[in-house]
Amino acid sequence: MMLIINGHLDDAGHEDVGHPERPERLRAVLRGINELHLDGDLLAVAPYSASRAELARVHDATYLDELGAYCYEGGGDLDADTYATYDSWSIAQFAAGAGLAVIKELQIRDDGVGFVAVRPPGHHASRDRAMGFCLLNNIAVAAAELTSQGERVLIVDWDVHHGNGTQSIFWDDPNVMYVSTHQWPFYPGSGAPYEIGGLDALGTTVNLPVPAGATGDVVRQALLDTATPAIEEFAPTWVLVSAGFDAHRSDPMADLALSNGDFAELAILTASFAPRPGRLALFLEGGYELGALQSSVTSSLGALLGADFASERPTHGGPGSDAVANAKEARFAALRIARDTGL
Amino acid sequence: MQGIRTIAIGFDGSSDAQGAVLWGLNFAHDNDALVVVVHAKGLLARFEPTVVNEEIEASLAHVCDEVGVARSSVRLEVVDGDACSVMLRMAQPPVSADLLVVGTRGQSAHAGHLLGSTSLELAQHSPIPVVIVPRS
Ligand SMILES: [Zn+2]
Repeated sequence: MMLIINGHLDDAGHEDVGHPERPERLRAVLRGINELHLDGDLLAVAPYSASRAELARVHDATYLDELGAYCYEGGGDLDADTYATYDSWSIAQFAAGAGLAVIKELQIRDDGVGFVAVRPPGHHASRDRAMGFCLLNNIAVAAAELTSQGERVLIVDWDVHHGNGTQSIFWDDPNVMYVSTHQWPFYPGSGAPYEIGGLDALGTTVNLPVPAGATGDVVRQALLDTATPAIEEFAPTWVLVSAGFDAHRSDPMADLALSNGDFAELAILTASFAPRPGRLALFLEGGYELGALQSSVTSSLGALLGADFASERPTHGGPGSDAVANAKEARFAALRIARDTGL
Repeated sequence: MQGIRTIAIGFDGSSDAQGAVLWGLNFAHDNDALVVVVHAKGLLARFEPTVVNEEIEASLAHVCDEVGVARSSVRLEVVDGDACSVMLRMAQPPVSADLLVVGTRGQSAHAGHLLGSTSLELAQHSPIPVVIVPRS
């Protein structure tokens, strides 16, 4: 099977020296792809900068104007975590466009797996705010393009942080299902199991919080027990993945205990939700320990292409089974109340 | 001011935030309101040395001292999230604040921009009144 990646690597201008969201991350990701030795089975599509209209599907016009102007004037800190530079606006537009280019290629081929290897990441960016290292919501731009074509899009977010931006953008959209596994309680504070979507889209937000120390089996259990029935009912025509690798046990940004073998298993499970070949694309989000990031990219993409490249075994036995069961109950209770009362 | 029962004050330990707490504690005293001091714990907070947390505690104790309020009577909440979202959450249950108070620190790197200014972004998004306490 063909791996289709975007080819935009001109990201060096988006850097704040000493900040963990740094250009070296993307170099580690590319080393991870090289490890697969794909040769003719690797296609790098041409860089594409998302248009104003494509961005405006998921971001407010005033926010886009402000962000562009802020960068043009030299950038600076957007909050205690998030920076922008003079070059960030252009780089972020290419990051947001990369998914569009990959999806177009997948549609032409009706085959292959897409991987959008970009930075800055996107899943914390909401309609009108940058936060959590994110400026533009790359996966949301891609999902909105697909729904404009009549598709039903599943977004699986296995980054260790809850993708508050993506959740809020599609809160009331019945054509996008957002499923997130994340450490909880944790930054950004959202992602409780009773957050289930707005009145027009009840049940299309699925939050699967797990406690610090949780291993891969707990995350898989949450996806299988709680999310899978909802996904089967939703019947997506496309699957997009917010593929952060900061749930790896070596990552300094969080406290989950996954291995690169777990990401291979998560990739296989997520791919099983896609209705047919050529309907799956992964988007890079977090992942800050370069070795873990590289090996997790290799293992997960390798698994999707049918080869075992995992150098670490899937993990078992961490805490969280109870939390997963309780979260499932809390979700069902919230759904019952919302459906009974219309609240 | 009528109807102000609970006020939430953003606090990052800076002198501007101290000014906000100072104003908030006095206001709460005059209006018989409850005070919740809120510290946002961002993504990068885990890389900060523990001394930062101690500094925040010491800085809050210092302001309480100045106003003559017992530190034990002021609730300090450390909440996961960015400063703006965390303050907005204070307007929701269980805190259900009626007023948000912040300092001016975190002003945008560029005058006139909403972006990069926690206080202006907060004022734009908040469903309840926001007081921005100017630098003294
Ligand atoms: Zn993350």
